[in-house]
Amino acid sequence: MKVKVLFSALGTLLILFIVVPIFRMVIAVDPVDLAKTAVEKEVLGSVLLTLRASLWATLAAFCLGIPLAFVLARSHFFGKKIIEGLIDIPVIIPHTAAGIALLMVWGRHSLFTRWTGISVVGTEIAISLAMFFVSVPFLINSAKEAFKLIDERFEKTAISLGASPWKAFTSVSLPMAKKAVISGGIMMWARGISEFGAVVVLAYHPMTAPVLIFERFQNFGLKYAVPVTVLLIIISLVVFTLLRILEDRQ
Amino acid sequence: MIRLENIQKRYQDFEIKSINLEVKKGEYFIILGPSGSGKTLLLEMIAGLVKPDSGNIKGIEHSRFGLIYQDYMLFPHLNVAQNIGYGLSIQRKKKNEIKAAVEKTSRELGIDHLLHRSVNNLSGGEKQRVAIARAMVLKPEVYLFDEPTAALDMSTRLQTQRLFMRLHKELHPTVIHVTHDFEEALALGEKIGLLLNGDLIQLDTPKEIFRNPATKAAADFLGYKNVFSGKIQNNRIEINGVEITTLVSHSDLAYITIRSNDIIISKEKILSSARNSFFGEVTKVIQRGSYVEVVLDVGILLYVDITYNSCQEMGVEPGRRFWVTFKTSAVKVFEH
Repeated sequence: MKVKVLFSALGTLLILFIVVPIFRMVIAVDPVDLAKTAVEKEVLGSVLLTLRASLWATLAAFCLGIPLAFVLARSHFFGKKIIEGLIDIPVIIPHTAAGIALLMVWGRHSLFTRWTGISVVGTEIAISLAMFFVSVPFLINSAKEAFKLIDERFEKTAISLGASPWKAFTSVSLPMAKKAVISGGIMMWARGISEFGAVVVLAYHPMTAPVLIFERFQNFGLKYAVPVTVLLIIISLVVFTLLRILEDRQ
Repeated sequence: MIRLENIQKRYQDFEIKSINLEVKKGEYFIILGPSGSGKTLLLEMIAGLVKPDSGNIKGIEHSRFGLIYQDYMLFPHLNVAQNIGYGLSIQRKKKNEIKAAVEKTSRELGIDHLLHRSVNNLSGGEKQRVAIARAMVLKPEVYLFDEPTAALDMSTRLQTQRLFMRLHKELHPTVIHVTHDFEEALALGEKIGLLLNGDLIQLDTPKEIFRNPATKAAADFLGYKNVFSGKIQNNRIEINGVEITTLVSHSDLAYITIRSNDIIISKEKILSSARNSFFGEVTKVIQRGSYVEVVLDVGILLYVDITYNSCQEMGVEPGRRFWVTFKTSAVKVFEH
């Protein structure tokens, strides 16, 4: 009983640590300023751009990351630990460093641009690339752990019943891992939305919400940055709460 | 006929060693062995789910087979009907055909009332029947069972064994059934392959396997308790001062076993053709359900199985002394 009380007290401290700054910011904002910000074209455009770019990154990760997660969960091969370590690198390194690394591959003077003549810097694609880079470990690791928990004999049973390995994956493994995969996807999307460091290096314009907040803070001060921040928090909270409810219903 | 030729497979520290066996069409074949002997790996190779390192498996390539694992492997995101119909939906059968086949099979197995239930809320026996139905609906020519009754309670296990017997009798499929349970092997098997530590050490009828285990390891696994070792000279092996007569005349190192139910206990010395007769004290009397296990110290500890009635009538209890007698032919010798 005493342990429960102690743990609850420690948990409350942690929750306060997260909630107090957010609450402080929400009550600091003038509702009139918030209403004006909410209809501001530039703000709405940047919030929508942020949500959209992160969504593209997440959808791309579903196509590329889930097969990789399955291979890592099911196969044992030399160098597997190195690959798992590489996947975690974007979480470890400073995100501005990630942005610079991406700039060297996708920037105007990169081999990619010289060969193809296509420059993605300063486009929505660049924003999605930056978001993908920094947030894809959330989806891969979540899916990998879920696949690891599924007994391989489920797939073997499906194959013995006539399914191809692909069909066994899509009709058995993936539905069984669905909850963790969706949860990883939500986490990835959320992490993409909040990304600043890598995005600002690769695409200052068009401005995502975190870049817009930084720009307003830098040029006009706290008073102008806070309403945009609160708006982003409110929109994110509504979207993610709805997603979590949908996820639980599944 | 399914034929395994020189099948070898190394998996981490474990190795399946050059397995050769044949399973006739329509035969109920048991692969018997303890946990970790490689039974499941061998079954998965037969099913084509694991590739052997070398050797060939012939006769199952183009057969329809149904694989049933110990813990059923029912797909938890599908209900009972969807589980049973899974294989048919893979074959892209029409919905009404799948429904009819699922209903027919589930009726035959007495689980038609469960069709709309989630598989997560079924009992062990019900899950087992759903797994059988899921395989059976595809009308397989070969059934591959991996410890299919191991997770069931005694009563459900017996019911399931009866179900297997009925299915085999009615449909005559080839069955390869993996188990560690001797009684199940005896009840169901027409032929048994004894697999120990990745090695197929004996291939015979159930009766022969249990009467004449091929090696000491086989005898140990099959539950032979009277296992001794020593040097045989002039048809006699001496163990701890006790001389036992054997059919083998000489061996520098031999193991012998005497089946517990081949030994007779008597109050008086029996004058008979049996060459081995010793006097000793009862040290333990253990109830084993349908029989009583008596341990006698005759210089070595001998385990003897007798009926409860014999035990009562003769007053067998710890501290009392009795004669034990067994024939020379009851002493099975494994030479090394």
